[in-house]
Amino acid sequence: MYLAEGRDKRVKAILEVGEWAGTVKLVVIGSSGVGKTALLRLYCDHEWDPRLATSTIGIDFKTKRLLVGDQPYKVNIFDTAGQERFRTLSASYYRGAHGVILVYDITNRKSFLDLEGWFQEAKTCSTEVVVLCLVGAKLDKAAQGERQVSTEEGRALAESHGAIFYEVSAKTGENFREPFVGTVQRIVGTPGLLEAVRRKPVPDALRLNRGDYYTKPIILVSLLHCCLSG
Amino acid sequence: MESLSDTLWDVVICGTGLQQSLLALALSRSDKKILHIDPNEFYGGAEAAFSLQDTELWVNRASAGSGGLFKSASIAKPEGTTGLSASRAYSLALAPQLIHARSTLLSQLVSSRAYRQVEFLAVGSFYIFKPPQESSQRPSLARIPSTREEVFSTTAVSAKAKRLLMKFMKFVLDYESSPQLEVWQPFADALLTDLLQQEFKMDAELQTYIVTLTLSLDGKISTKDGLAAIRRHLSSMGVYGPGFAAIYPKWGGLSEIAQVACRAGAVGGAVYMLGTGIKETETAEGEVKIQLTSGDTVKTRMLVRAGDSASDEMGITRLVAVIGSPLNSLFEAVVEGAPRPAVAVIAFPAGSLSTVSGKASEYPVYLSAHSSDTGECPAHQSVLYLTTLSTPDANATLNLALDAFLGTITEGQAPSVLYRLQYEQLAGSQRSQSEASIFTFPAPFLSLSFNDSTLQPVHEAWKKVMGDAAVEADYMTFADREGAVDDDDVYE
Repeated sequence: MYLAEGRDKRVKAILEVGEWAGTVKLVVIGSSGVGKTALLRLYCDHEWDPRLATSTIGIDFKTKRLLVGDQPYKVNIFDTAGQERFRTLSASYYRGAHGVILVYDITNRKSFLDLEGWFQEAKTCSTEVVVLCLVGAKLDKAAQGERQVSTEEGRALAESHGAIFYEVSAKTGENFREPFVGTVQRIVGTPGLLEAVRRKPVPDALRLNRGDYYTKPIILVSLLHCCLSG
Repeated sequence: MESLSDTLWDVVICGTGLQQSLLALALSRSDKKILHIDPNEFYGGAEAAFSLQDTELWVNRASAGSGGLFKSASIAKPEGTTGLSASRAYSLALAPQLIHARSTLLSQLVSSRAYRQVEFLAVGSFYIFKPPQESSQRPSLARIPSTREEVFSTTAVSAKAKRLLMKFMKFVLDYESSPQLEVWQPFADALLTDLLQQEFKMDAELQTYIVTLTLSLDGKISTKDGLAAIRRHLSSMGVYGPGFAAIYPKWGGLSEIAQVACRAGAVGGAVYMLGTGIKETETAEGEVKIQLTSGDTVKTRMLVRAGDSASDEMGITRLVAVIGSPLNSLFEAVVEGAPRPAVAVIAFPAGSLSTVSGKASEYPVYLSAHSSDTGECPAHQSVLYLTTLSTPDANATLNLALDAFLGTITEGQAPSVLYRLQYEQLAGSQRSQSEASIFTFPAPFLSLSFNDSTLQPVHEAWKKVMGDAAVEADYMTFADREGAVDDDDVYE
């Protein structure tokens, strides 16, 4: 249903060319149970199912195509795979990330206090320039008086770290796209990051699945033959 | 969320070195309940890679005697301004092994889809260090021709030597069939150099070229092992692109593979804890009760852990040096269309260095030069990994080799050494141990290129954990996870 907004043929044509303006890597972090995966599922699969929300198994990353201006970007969004539980995310998880989305639960003060550590980790583990986005999740519960972290507190923390800030609800769908779209927009609007996003995979990086494409030993042998007999 | 103590785990894996991590990858699509712990605060065990700050922490532990198979670790930096960048701009590898293109490790990374999260770089030329003939001259590096193109184009060897090299390369590519087999079998357990001298009439210099390609740590490799190593090198040439035989994972070598494998384990549902080791184990009625250093007690059907008992074999001594120069001339592609290599290997044959005590060096020294493309250091710097067998002179010999190598660099000013890390790594038991409910991996190989025998114990452990549910054809063969497919569009 969300897809219906703004769909038009010109946009579709650009996306179907298959030429990406670049590939963006986003990683999602934050304490266990704050609703990281629910947000990701809603944004990427348009699904919200509280039964799926118990723990994160089986999600590596999700891919989304996003048009910023008239440029199509491929956005890979990585989930923590439960490695946030004991704070064991590896350096390779953050490798090459252009944006980090930090999530807390507005009804869980502890998850907000944990953010200091998560901001620290985001800054040490990612590349020099990275866009940070702070997200207060479970906004729907505020109406039931369960809020433990005020909007002002959240915004102030975000500002102190130079992060974008949103409060969202995966249940009602309120603001659910903003963190992802806002982060990508800021990434492509940041000199240095835009180039990183646009860079084709390092030309020297090897694609292993390319397999036996080049000179096989058998050719080498036959060439050796020529050389020796010649 | 399930509590650690209330769960009966199918397997507790202790340690996140390469083998344990590959086991986690192998089990990542099974429905086994896996708890993966590591007493270290970092991933990778003996294959880890460190920022400068983490290196310091590791050195403190290793010099305090709690470094397992690592000891005598120290760091040296010049006084005052060092020219070093921020700590995390570095990723120094404890096991900077190169991986030959034909290695089963690579085919398993491909079939398990783990390769998508790893970036690989080409390992370029192999060089031999040539000491100066007279004291007024500079030492130099001679490139070992290891492809047809290079043998053709090299000016380093005579026409006769070229013919001998060609003949030998052809021989090796099919050395296990007749009539080659009959030629080398009498030499199987003798030195490879004996075969090269007697059957191929190679002089000492050519023999050194060939032996260097085996990366033999003592330089005394047998004919049987040597031919296998050379064949691996030659048959790996060109598999992933023209002009190179081996590759290297960006950001610290095997460390990166261990991390990616652990993540695959986590995606599959394994629970990860670092900084948590085993205090005590107690086995009863087919279950192992483990007291963790975190205070938790967990129960598991099986425990798989790292072997860290030292053996009598010789260990290695390493010197890791950060250099304030990009050393560009080492990292040039030598074949048209080849990718720019990020790694070059320089061998100092036995006897090519004079030690402090005036003796000639007893064992070869290998220097693996990594450009900043590896992500192990910032741009305009490079990292040199020097390795030799541990002897009382080893540390001094490595520093001599480093100075000698820097003396061969003619571009620009003499490069400065910004940072030195030295340590010893003991050889460990090469046998895995399998008891009823406890499996212990062998210690890592100390070789400079990845040894495929590392993979067999992983497979054994997998079979043991899977029991009757083990389907051989499924081992390390998985479909892509859903995220890898492009599906939805969003328009802005």
